Order: sequence, then C-alpha cells, then structure tokens
Amino acid sequence: MHELSIALSVLDIVRSAAAESGLASVTVVRLRIGRASGVQPDSLRFAFDCAKVGTPAEGAALEIDETSVGGHCDVCDRDFTNPEPYVLACPLCGGTSFRVTTGDELHVLDLEGEP
Amino acid sequence: MKVKVVTNILKANTRIAEENRRTLHERGITTINLMSSPGAGKTTLLARTIRDRGARIRFGVIEGDIQGTHDAEVIAALDVPVIQINTAGGCHLDANMVQSVLPELPLESIGLLVIENVGNLVCPAEFDLGEDAKVMLLSITEGDDKPLKYPRMFRECEVLLVNKVDLAPHLDVSLEKIRADARGLNPALQVFEVSARTGQGLEAWYRWLEKKCAGSRGRG
Repeated sequence: MHELSIALSVLDIVRSAAAESGLASVTVVRLRIGRASGVQPDSLRFAFDCAKVGTPAEGAALEIDETSVGGHCDVCDRDFTNPEPYVLACPLCGGTSFRVTTGDELHVLDLEGEP
Repeated sequence: MKVKVVTNILKANTRIAEENRRTLHERGITTINLMSSPGAGKTTLLARTIRDRGARIRFGVIEGDIQGTHDAEVIAALDVPVIQINTAGGCHLDANMVQSVLPELPLESIGLLVIENVGNLVCPAEFDLGEDAKVMLLSITEGDDKPLKYPRMFRECEVLLVNKVDLAPHLDVSLEKIRADARGLNPALQVFEVSARTGQGLEAWYRWLEKKCAGSRGRG
C-alpha cells in the first residue's frame, strides 16, 4: 500500500513538533493506528526506519498503539468491539443496523526526545 | 522529555480536500470521485454517461492514471474539458494533486466534476479529494468475492455500479452475492446493475446523478 507516504507524513509532523518544543533529537514516536485504517504496522515500521535517516528522528523507536474496531448496534442498543477490521454484523446480536465509531484512527500521539 | 502531539497523520490531505470542496462549492460544482479496479470500465461508463447526458449536465473531468493520456483523449474527443494527472507510480490521487490542476479547468462552465481515480481497489478509498460523493464500479468479471476482500472501498462509497452485467450468462458469478455482501458492509449503499457497453440499467444511474447535481449549475 502506501505506508512510505504515511511514514513521510509522520516524519513531517515529528519534525515540526520537535522544532516547536526544542527537541534536537527524538527518541520515541508513538502512533495510534486503528485496525480498519488500512495501514499495516509492520510495513509502516519498515518504511519509517528507511525514511527517518537524516531527520531529527533518526534514532527514534516507533511505538504503535493499535486500536480495535468498535461501534454501537442500533438493534441491541449495545456498544461492541469487533474482532475483524470490518464489521458485517453486530458481533453481539448479529444485527445489521450499526455505527462503527472506532478503528479508523491514524494519529501521532506524542514523542519523547532530548533538547 | 515527552511532547504531546495528537495530530491526524492524514491531516494535511484532509485540510487540502476541504479547501477543494470549498472552491468547488463556491462555483456551484458537484464533484464525484469515481473509483474501481483497473479495467472495470470507469472510462467507458464515463464516456457513455457524457454522451447520454452531456446535453443536460455540464461535465468536467480529471483523469488520474499512473502514466499516459489515453483516458483524457477519450474524454476530450467528447468536447468535455479534461485534465490528465499522471501519478508516476503513485497508487492513488490525493487532494494536493487535485488542487494543483483545478486552476487549469474552466470551472465557471462546469456543473459536474468527475474525478476518475487511479485504477486500484485499495488506496484511493482512503484519500478525501474534496468530492461530494464517492462512486465505485465493480465489473462482474472480477468475481463476486470482491466486496468481502476489499471492504473499505465498498464501505466508503455512496453508489456501487455493478458493471458488465451483459456478460453474466457467460460467468459463474452471483449478482445477488455482490449485492448482499456490499450492502452488508454498507447498508446505505445504492447499487445499480449496469452495462456501460449495452446501456442496460444506466437510466437509474443517470437519475441518481441528476438528483445529485440538482443543487448545482450542472443541471440545465
């Protein structure tokens, strides 16, 4: 897919956040990635490690917090967590009228570094 | 030292997509992002739609391809303003590519802008371009297993055009399965079974398109 362009966007965000907070080197970059975001964590790690060379995040470890897919079922009126990335029916009651509320996340959460 | 960031990684794309949406709405333009696998019939459907409805809708087209100008030439032959974007290997269009070509289109004379995305059932679904609706094509020669294998695009779209239905007698493919699986992923999905070659089923698609353009200058 396009994990390299995602990695480059992450590095852009990291570069400006590090400059704003006066970090000369970044040691940890923490991301939140939903299981339905379409981004493969392993591919993203590989792309990030290739693309970080020569940036303030050159020595940074990538930590990925994967969020599961969840939603609310209008049939049984309960919140659910879905084991698969895509919801075909409510995993609790099998109802097909539901809203997916989590799992699409693609965020840089925070970074750690040295001034 | 720990620094809070909490920034959406696709934020830059989303911001530019919102700018595109504003630019297009200010000019009364309705925009469709047309997506499918390579070879599903996007250009054939679009050319047929322009031939059949060009008198009522003022079309403009952005063609996205990895390379070449074949599709833009097909559309230009119909006397419709068209711009070709070549992604040079990129698997999808993004909002920035669309923004960079908007000034090259005669926006004042367009009512419906159709952006034909790069043929790919995966990545284009994830990038907002500034469209009002995502529309996808699935040709039945691709097989009835595709909704469950490529769920994201089926989930993101407002309309699914099941194309090449004139070939159904020659294929072991279930139109019912395509419809049921796609609706399972996206209960609000409108499904039209069509043949861009024979014209079968296209009236329902045209009615949807004209309704979508009702608020824009595209209707005349």
